[in-house]
Amino acid sequence: MFGWTGTTLRVDLTKGTITREATDLELAHDYLGARGMGGKIMIDEVAPDTDALSPANKLIFSPGPLTGTFAPSAGRFEVVTKAPLNNVIAGSNSGGAFGPELKYAGYDALIIEGKAAKPVYLWIKNDEVEIRDASAVWGHTTPDTTDLVRAETDEDAKVACIGPAGEHLSPIANIMNEMHRAAGRSGVGAVMGSKNLKAIAVFGTGAVTVADPDRFKAAVMKARKLIQAHPVGGTGLKAYGTDVLVNILNQTGALPTRNYQDGYFPTADKTGGESLAAKQLVRPKGCFSCIISCGRVTKVDNPAYAGYGEGPEYESAWAFGADCGIDDLDAITKANFLCNEHGIDTISLGSTIACAMELFELGVITAKDTDGVQLTFGNVPAMVEMTRKACTGEGFGAKLAQGSYRLAESYGHPELSMTCKKQETPAYDPRGVQGIGLNYATNNRGGDHVRGYTIAIEVLQNGAVMDPRVTEGKADLDITFQNLTGALDSAGACLFSTFGIGAGELAEMLSAVTGVEYSVDEFMKIGERIWNQERLWNLKQGYTTDDDALPKRLLTEPIKTGPAKGEVNHLDKMLPEYYQLRGWDEKGVPTKAKLKELSLA
Amino acid sequence: MTVKYFATIRTYTGESERRFDDAPATLRELLAALAARYGNLFRNAAFAGDALNPEIIILVNGRNVLYLRGLDTPLAQEDEVSIFPMVAGG
Repeated sequence: MFGWTGTTLRVDLTKGTITREATDLELAHDYLGARGMGGKIMIDEVAPDTDALSPANKLIFSPGPLTGTFAPSAGRFEVVTKAPLNNVIAGSNSGGAFGPELKYAGYDALIIEGKAAKPVYLWIKNDEVEIRDASAVWGHTTPDTTDLVRAETDEDAKVACIGPAGEHLSPIANIMNEMHRAAGRSGVGAVMGSKNLKAIAVFGTGAVTVADPDRFKAAVMKARKLIQAHPVGGTGLKAYGTDVLVNILNQTGALPTRNYQDGYFPTADKTGGESLAAKQLVRPKGCFSCIISCGRVTKVDNPAYAGYGEGPEYESAWAFGADCGIDDLDAITKANFLCNEHGIDTISLGSTIACAMELFELGVITAKDTDGVQLTFGNVPAMVEMTRKACTGEGFGAKLAQGSYRLAESYGHPELSMTCKKQETPAYDPRGVQGIGLNYATNNRGGDHVRGYTIAIEVLQNGAVMDPRVTEGKADLDITFQNLTGALDSAGACLFSTFGIGAGELAEMLSAVTGVEYSVDEFMKIGERIWNQERLWNLKQGYTTDDDALPKRLLTEPIKTGPAKGEVNHLDKMLPEYYQLRGWDEKGVPTKAKLKELSLA
Repeated sequence: MTVKYFATIRTYTGESERRFDDAPATLRELLAALAARYGNLFRNAAFAGDALNPEIIILVNGRNVLYLRGLDTPLAQEDEVSIFPMVAGG
């Protein structure tokens, strides 16, 4: 048994039972692990019409075959479940050290099902697994929960947990591990909360065995050199973190501003990675096996927003920054701290506050709705206060914690929610960068950037270049990135490793670890299989080609100022070609031939 | 004309932007002038031999010069030039 441990752990919280079963290695060969294998388990075991917050939904923690090895920047895991936010397969990917520890404890996947009668946490120490009373930790923040659970288990335990937002079943609640790393999107924290599961602590003393150690060592050393030699993987991300993107997107004219009313924020530089490095940064930090270290350990001394923690990442700095018309990086960092401490997704919450600000400025909501707060764009204290309220579920914060679609719809203005399939779109304006718009529209979990990161080519000049303003070739580009990421996520690798290595290096490491030969074509085919698997699930949820859409604003309201002034997204020019190249019919349904080719039929 | 510097480029220039009263005619001339001002770290970041370094990203009014005319991109007094090293995130 190489790469995979061969064992899957299943915990039924309703019955209080703990069982071990053999990992289906034939499936593992075809789906690798993490996102792919987790999704396959979910599709096989969760009925499509299951209420996401019911005991019948399942919550799957799944590392990949590379997770826990010394493959560079490849220690990740996925949290897979039916998403409370929008019913898709919520595959929320996270770094930290939880995934490797689960492997060392002996497990390819952890499947949580049912619902505990009262708050519990799970303690996994190799093959000793206990469901323990969590009444003493319920209600605590994620850092406090981590400390409390470690005090009751092992000081070296790796802890994944929810904060108050997950307990309150916010559909944008996340799961934090190692206090600061998030499985952030689609509301996975609410599913954990719905099961009365506060935390999972894991400690393992086993190992991940490798099929061909010499071949693996050679492949790893090659990958390390490529990443270290890359200006981004080797230098840039460690120096400035992901927040370095603020300026290049702003100078391109594609930094969504004030709830996507514009694509340019004149004072964005105050919120970028350069500013963060100069003021709030304490030190860079990497996840398990990472040689990039994009993480930011940060501190805010300003008494109004004082705190210590990690981040913000680019997306978070944008969501609480330009999207809210705010250029105070102390306040943005504080909002990010609050989200991590309370376990809520920064992208969705920041975008929801921006949506609320637009509703307020239009007079749709007033101070009577917002607990007396003048919720205008650029109001720094109001942004932080609304973040706090959403985190705790207090007053108007309870509405914000539902995400922007439910918020805007409740006031009769769903068009002001900047979402795809009800999930908030991230920090790249599709009017200034055409291909990312196609990715948002077709992405299997809705508004998402990491599963089809065309920005690398359209803006960042990583290996190849394509003009962000044109639509030609973008369907093919999107599909390539979407398939690559499907396989990469499922192997346990970090997306940022692609700033240095590609499918060839990943396939080689995977082959050496598992003993299963993966060519580049086979690796990419796995990604395509996973993408189509997720698409089939979405079709069962009632999503149609009408949902492969962008917010109307991005198609009809040109960017007002900055370098991309006058631009809109031309999704209609890209979507038909996308379907065609995917092997789907004109309604976006995979053809029988395509499904047969991918062993999905 | 305004030239803005970002990330490690800013550490080479020691300033975040500089205004020029007389815009050079082309990007090539601008980068040569900037290399003379800021020294070898900047020069090596900007040029690979006589060509544009593939690891530098230069925008003129928000457009990557690779989609304009590269080093021969003409410049005008009202232009804004943004100079980045390769950066990434997400």
